[in-house]
Amino acid sequence: MFPIERIRNFSIIAHIDHGKSTLADRVLEVTGALANREMQAQFLDKMDIERERGITIKAQNVRLSYKAKDGVEYRLHLIDTPGHVDFNYEVSRSLSACEGAILVVDSTQGVEAQTLANVYLALDQNLEILPVLNKVDLPSSDVDRTKEEIEQVIGLDTSNAVPCSGKTGVGVPDILEKIVQLVPPPKEAAPGGPLRALIFDSWYDSYRGAMVMVRVVDGVLKKGDKVRFLATKRDYEVTEMGVFTPHALAVDELGPGEVGFFCANIKSVHDTKIGDTVTTATHAASEPLAGFKDVKPMVFAGLYPTESEAYPDLRDALEKLHLNDAAFSFEPDTSEALGFGFRCGFLGLLHMEIIQERLEREFNLELITTAPSVVYHVTKTTGETLRVENPAMLPDPQVIERIEEPISKVTIHVPAEFVGAVIALCQEKRGVQLSMTYASKDRVIIAYELPFSEVVFDFHDKLKTCSRGYASMDYELTGFRADKLVKVDILVNGDPLDALALIVHKDRAYHRGRALTEKLKEFVPQQQYEVAIQAAIGGKIIARETVRALRKDVTAKCYGGDISRKRKLLEKQKEGKKRMKSVGNVDVPQEAFLAILKVTD
Amino acid sequence: MTAAPLLVYVHFPWCLEKCPYCDFVSYPTTREALDHRGYADAIIAELGARVARLRGSFELASVFVGGGTPSLWEPAELARVLLAIRAALGGGDVEITAECNPSSLDEPRARALLAAGVNRLSVGVQSLDDARLTFLGRLHDADGARRALSDARRAGAARLSGDLIFGVHDEAPEVARDEALALAELGLSHLSAYALTIEAGTRFGDLARRGRLPLADDGRVAESFIAIDEALTARGFEHYETSNYARSGEASRHNLGYWRGHAYLGLGCAAVGAAPTSQGFVRYKNPLSPSKYVAFANQSAPDDALAMLEPLDAETRLRERIMLGLRLAEGLELASVGDELGVVGWTDARRRVADKLIARGRLERDGARVRVPRPSWLFADGIAAELF
Repeated sequence: MFPIERIRNFSIIAHIDHGKSTLADRVLEVTGALANREMQAQFLDKMDIERERGITIKAQNVRLSYKAKDGVEYRLHLIDTPGHVDFNYEVSRSLSACEGAILVVDSTQGVEAQTLANVYLALDQNLEILPVLNKVDLPSSDVDRTKEEIEQVIGLDTSNAVPCSGKTGVGVPDILEKIVQLVPPPKEAAPGGPLRALIFDSWYDSYRGAMVMVRVVDGVLKKGDKVRFLATKRDYEVTEMGVFTPHALAVDELGPGEVGFFCANIKSVHDTKIGDTVTTATHAASEPLAGFKDVKPMVFAGLYPTESEAYPDLRDALEKLHLNDAAFSFEPDTSEALGFGFRCGFLGLLHMEIIQERLEREFNLELITTAPSVVYHVTKTTGETLRVENPAMLPDPQVIERIEEPISKVTIHVPAEFVGAVIALCQEKRGVQLSMTYASKDRVIIAYELPFSEVVFDFHDKLKTCSRGYASMDYELTGFRADKLVKVDILVNGDPLDALALIVHKDRAYHRGRALTEKLKEFVPQQQYEVAIQAAIGGKIIARETVRALRKDVTAKCYGGDISRKRKLLEKQKEGKKRMKSVGNVDVPQEAFLAILKVTD
Repeated sequence: MTAAPLLVYVHFPWCLEKCPYCDFVSYPTTREALDHRGYADAIIAELGARVARLRGSFELASVFVGGGTPSLWEPAELARVLLAIRAALGGGDVEITAECNPSSLDEPRARALLAAGVNRLSVGVQSLDDARLTFLGRLHDADGARRALSDARRAGAARLSGDLIFGVHDEAPEVARDEALALAELGLSHLSAYALTIEAGTRFGDLARRGRLPLADDGRVAESFIAIDEALTARGFEHYETSNYARSGEASRHNLGYWRGHAYLGLGCAAVGAAPTSQGFVRYKNPLSPSKYVAFANQSAPDDALAMLEPLDAETRLRERIMLGLRLAEGLELASVGDELGVVGWTDARRRVADKLIARGRLERDGARVRVPRPSWLFADGIAAELF
């Protein structure tokens, strides 16, 4: 058994792009875990999409062996964390397996919104936080200013802060020394008690079934053990155990404070509840470890195959992705306009984009995605309450007592010169200012309460635009609040296009309705009859556009020399028609559905 | 085995001047500059090669000499070509049409054409209004058109057709209708009325692309189409194809042949043919420049010099038959067309679409035939595409 006092469990936390993954790779290199030739940039980001987008989606973790300057061999567990706000839940889980966190702050950028958010998560877990100032190799690096910001904004002592560069490797050995010195070793919660290990991650392996990542708190987990999952009350036999070094390495036991994985013929990740406590079946612990809040999808969108024959393929693909991503939900859905598809729930917009991209790239599916919508709480006049994930499902306005929408607290870090623009944007998005503080003389932290639907829609893009890319943001959901919300239906010759229905604030409905009908008109081809495109609230039409009837669709001359060209034109027309969806008797091309998602205020 | 009808199209790729709307292959020239004899020789050479490659049993039904302006061609050379065609392909009562422009058609020329074997004249009148003729870039005026038609009649052309273009930007539907009636009054047995179509690569096409061409409103063009249909049918003309009207029995057998899916040989520069050959059923287009064509014809028409060669499988030909058949008042018998080509005409998908079209009044069934009802003729392309 490795002595617990020589174990150090730590995470690296950072704002996106502050160099977390590069620094993690350096740590692997310095401890000799990876030979140089194995170094592929950002080793820990395993998925192609992660590497391409430069973000970490699933947390990875590694056991490292480190001989410190005191001559003692330490066992380090580096628990990598995702960097994006959509995956906050994964961050806090990873942190729960640690006693310390390295806070990476880009010394050319300073403290950003997610820096702060992640620090708060780490403080919640009582972690020792070790600030490091990254990218000191760059000419624009300003170590003193960054330290000042960390002290002022976060309130962390920076006397131990290490200047470093993930790119050149400068300062990395110092970081390892500080970890050994400052991060406390793990402690058993109930020494001598039965086995208790916290499940903080799981994933699916097509040969072994669900794999479970645990942090052992009390006792020892051994290969061959009969274990019990306390929450699900199911027993399994541990068939394989291991750690990542970063290559998988089989081990026979994991002692207190250690981090590793096991498999036990578990069919799916849904049988492994993250936050559950693993104990031994024969000598079960009575008290579970503190778990996690269940994460619930907050953003919903319809995913439809462009070709209806691809529906079974889409279902299979969603099932496969679901195996590995419990935070993502899907259920069959039917749209009048788009046919058979699925209503999918995501943690946020990035999560949605990633799932969509993986479906298209890894499963070769062509998809139509409807505009993302948040969850609304609806109270009917009868007193009945509903959770509405799809605007098309909203009951008639007459039977609605009130609609509540999710509210989020958005924290924005921005250079002072863009404050005016950011405030204007937040006001436009129905925001209520909570606070405005100066992080330093030219950087401002603005907190706003914003309806989450506004954040989901295009807030991030607009924020980046109005601050020339300098603003960073983070959000957390704070609750639900009633407002004057209405459903806007889009009708084509009187038939509703359910996939385009949306819930908006009453004051915006007219404007949005007009923008949508105008956009749709561009894409609906002339047909043999007039087509009316309308926006309506309840039965009341608020905007109308007309696509004039086609008056003439016949070639004047069609003789021997014209036949091939004409036939090819009609073949193309027929092909195009296949990709149209019939709404009533009107053919609407798929581009119309896509284009309309890009309509902004 | 009964012989199938065969059409022969001869292209004459020269005009005195190129019209701004025309997208046929045609080069401006003077009559004197042409090698009348050399071109006839090339065509006769090509004919030999084409007939040698033709597979199946055919009977010549029609020859159509188009252009360009075939009335510029020395009638004696045209006569040689026609004789060669008859010698190679035989045929009994063969319709032989020559296209003429009013500016190159007078009584002696008409007589010479008839003497050369032509028995039907198609005259490019286009309009009987001087301003519109100028807009259309024509070399003749309204009087010239009238004179050419009466000369042709005097020369003994019993089968006389006139072309009309309607749908010019400033033309009211009643004006188009009256013009069609006036033209029909000039002793025609056949009239083609074409909606002006702006084609890419023409002078009108270039102007339109740059927004410099006044264009007619589609609705008004549609109204003109309907007005002409009503007026001419009231005068005893049969509206037998989208753009074609004929006195009883006077429909162009040649063009009906295209629409009914008969095989055709194309001879001459830029001519298009579609026929069963030793390589299967193919459509080809001859070289586009006269000099390249002459060289090609004299080397017994090698395929690699062609402007286009397209093998047509049975399904493709079926789609063409649908597209062409639905242009005709008679429509088509889809089941027997399928049988003829060895494929299924009425697939389940087509049946479903046809039922939908019938319910919407876009298609009608008459025994084994389907056709587009007259009020829906203006939408024939979309209807055909649905049945593809």
